[in-house]
Amino acid sequence: MRDVAFGQFYPADSIIHKLDPRIKLILMVLYIVGVFLVNYFFSYIPVAIFLLIIVFSSKVPLNKVIKSVKGILLIIILTAILNIFFNKSDNVIWSWNFLVVTDGGLKLAGKLALKLLFLVVGTSMLTFTTTPMGITDGLESIMKPLKALKVPVHDIAITMSITLRFIPILIEEIDKIIMAQKARGAAFDTGGLIKRIKAFLPVLIPLFVSAFRRADELAAAMDARCYNATPNRTKLKELKCMPRDICALVISAIFLALVITLPIIWKVLQLPLI
Amino acid sequence: MNNNLNIDNIITINNASVIYQKDNLITHALTQVTLEIKRGSFIAILGRNGSGKSTLAKLLNASLLPDIGEIFVDGINTNDESRAFDIRSKVGMVFQNPDNQMVATIIEDDLAFGPENLGIPRAEIRERVDWALKTVGMYEHRLRATQKLSGGQKQRVAIAAVLSMAPDVLILDEATAMLDPRGREEVMDTARKLNTEKHMTIVLITHYMDEAVCADKIIVLDEGRVVTEGTPIEVFRQVDLIKKAGLEFPTPAEAAFKLKTLGYNIPVVLTDDELVEALCQLK
Repeated sequence: MRDVAFGQFYPADSIIHKLDPRIKLILMVLYIVGVFLVNYFFSYIPVAIFLLIIVFSSKVPLNKVIKSVKGILLIIILTAILNIFFNKSDNVIWSWNFLVVTDGGLKLAGKLALKLLFLVVGTSMLTFTTTPMGITDGLESIMKPLKALKVPVHDIAITMSITLRFIPILIEEIDKIIMAQKARGAAFDTGGLIKRIKAFLPVLIPLFVSAFRRADELAAAMDARCYNATPNRTKLKELKCMPRDICALVISAIFLALVITLPIIWKVLQLPLI
Repeated sequence: MNNNLNIDNIITINNASVIYQKDNLITHALTQVTLEIKRGSFIAILGRNGSGKSTLAKLLNASLLPDIGEIFVDGINTNDESRAFDIRSKVGMVFQNPDNQMVATIIEDDLAFGPENLGIPRAEIRERVDWALKTVGMYEHRLRATQKLSGGQKQRVAIAAVLSMAPDVLILDEATAMLDPRGREEVMDTARKLNTEKHMTIVLITHYMDEAVCADKIIVLDEGRVVTEGTPIEVFRQVDLIKKAGLEFPTPAEAAFKLKTLGYNIPVVLTDDELVEALCQLK
């Protein structure tokens, strides 16, 4: 359980860490748009280059990045398998009874798996390089215009920050409960799927009870520290847009433009559209 | 407002009672408690589980209002709901579980939460945060994640987070209950230092009698009533009363008390050193 790396901050001194969190949030949106615009395998080239630049300049160790994928590997594989068998187009490559694999299905499965992979790695780079407080401050700043529509922007931001803070605490708690239940003879790794899911109930219930208790105590502590005392909250850290932020924005925009125009270039050069 | 408030007292509790009602069951959490807490003093409130000590703590920062009676914090009546935040910025509260009272991942961000809520200007928040961190001896850790600290360090950060609101009173509501002996020592040292060096009023709520030894005044609660109050020596003399309240004596005091029942002429002692001293005086 402990090696869940998604959503964790990795402290390091890098240019990516130093970027304004608002810019990083905007970059992430651009990146997601870019990944969704990809229709051909070759279009992943600029996306991959972009991602590699970010990963290497962020100084986050590669095994940490890989670990963030591990958590959703099952979902990626499942999506791929379903697409291989349920998408029937183009030439049949292999068939057995009702199972038919076509090259169209294979291509689609590959593209979808890559899409998910790039999405997860890209978004986890945001949480690796930005403190939860940074993300919160960034979101709050971006959403500020919504305050006029009576959206509780600050409350949303603080909720997010607390969520991110409690992820590792709750993971630790799950570990403890599992150990406690194992000590009483609970078996989590034997039996069929249903049996295993059932075995998890004695873990989930104490976890929920404890989460509610924590929420209660945290609320009392926040009240004691004057949460919502004034609508004119101040901030210790001011977000400042630096030249490097503009630079990052321009570079990302170029990459996004590349993703969009690459199929056109490919067609002009009469390269195979795969 | 009460006219005969003594300005030497940062907190005055006048005949406060708290009654919980659930279905037809009525519980008297606190009954007619009257207390005065002097500015700059170190008060220990002792009591076993369910003695009403945490209810009393909640009354002090206006998170709970008494059903009968009134509480004044620096002259402000806690029943005045419009002043609740003024009271909370004067009375800082540190709770039992350090993990459940931090909102931010990075230590200095967590310290800034209180003053940010109060709308303090940025430069002053920076000053307050640095000051609070230095006061509890955590300044060099300010950029670390709260998750990576030991229990004692976490609780010192929690104290600093309250100090950054510049309170007059610091309430430690069972703040050492979840810590190992070393962590407890760290927190107690910090509390003592704040009291002697910064003249901060400390209200220590605990069921460990050995922590209460260093207080100026001990208040013993049981079943929602004040059983006795006085200096540690005065309180620890009342052996039967203390035992009836379900409290355990600090080891040296217990030893001295047992020796006395065996016929030795030994005074009431509180610390190991005093016990050694007293034993050496024996002929």
